[in-house]
Amino acid sequence: MAVGDRDRLICVGAIAGAFGVRGEVRVKSFCAEPEAIAGYGPLVTEDGRRFAITIRGTAPGALVCRLSGVETREQAQALKGTRLHVARGRLPDLPEDEFYHADLIGLTVQDTGGAVLGQVRAVHDHGAGDFLEITGPALARPLLLPFTRAFVPTVDLARGRIVVDPPQGSDEAP
Amino acid sequence: MARSVWKGPFVDAHVLKKAAKARESGRNEVIKIWSRRSTILPQFVGLTFGVYNGHKHIPVSVTEEMIGQKFGEYSPTRTFYGHAADKKAKRR
Repeated sequence: MAVGDRDRLICVGAIAGAFGVRGEVRVKSFCAEPEAIAGYGPLVTEDGRRFAITIRGTAPGALVCRLSGVETREQAQALKGTRLHVARGRLPDLPEDEFYHADLIGLTVQDTGGAVLGQVRAVHDHGAGDFLEITGPALARPLLLPFTRAFVPTVDLARGRIVVDPPQGSDEAP
Repeated sequence: MARSVWKGPFVDAHVLKKAAKARESGRNEVIKIWSRRSTILPQFVGLTFGVYNGHKHIPVSVTEEMIGQKFGEYSPTRTFYGHAADKKAKRR
């Protein structure tokens, strides 16, 4: 991760609306573990406001939270749709060969010869291992690659690139 | 009702052929298959299949825990792009 990258904001949740009449809000958490949203310190909005967040309970599909400075239902309702962010540097460091999706998405993709193929558009996991979705002008359609050492030998976050070894897929019909 | 034991697991023959060919070649490749109905067999462990979902071939790296499941279970036909947030990916 580049040094300046630590300040990059990552969206970890959004306010879905007010909850009750005491200024609590319903927060839709985008974290892998929904409750983790309260563990990254103050959350920042797109317009620069900062909120300390405390989880008070759960509602269907959301967490019930108290945000610092929000005391009334009207204040809470006014925040509906606000996205909550955290600086990338606040996320804990990961062991080798583990990466945040947020770090991988947007990386430039090169093949082993150095030619640029495109960028990482998304990281998916449907239960059979993570794989990268790569798009770019050099590709007629999105390239899906298993996120393994064999297919992705190099992940260079500092330089913002990954090196892939695209497989030879068999195109013949069954 | 479960499939009778004497019948054995169902696998399309062409999937078996492709898997055997890929294992012999020892190359780093994704075996494209359209057969979502085929059962994952022990001899598929360690191979990577591209399982068609009606739109594209989803990479499925077969592990021991997946034996007995169908390929289609790992290749959803509807894509959901969620938020990345703090989600992690592990390179194997």
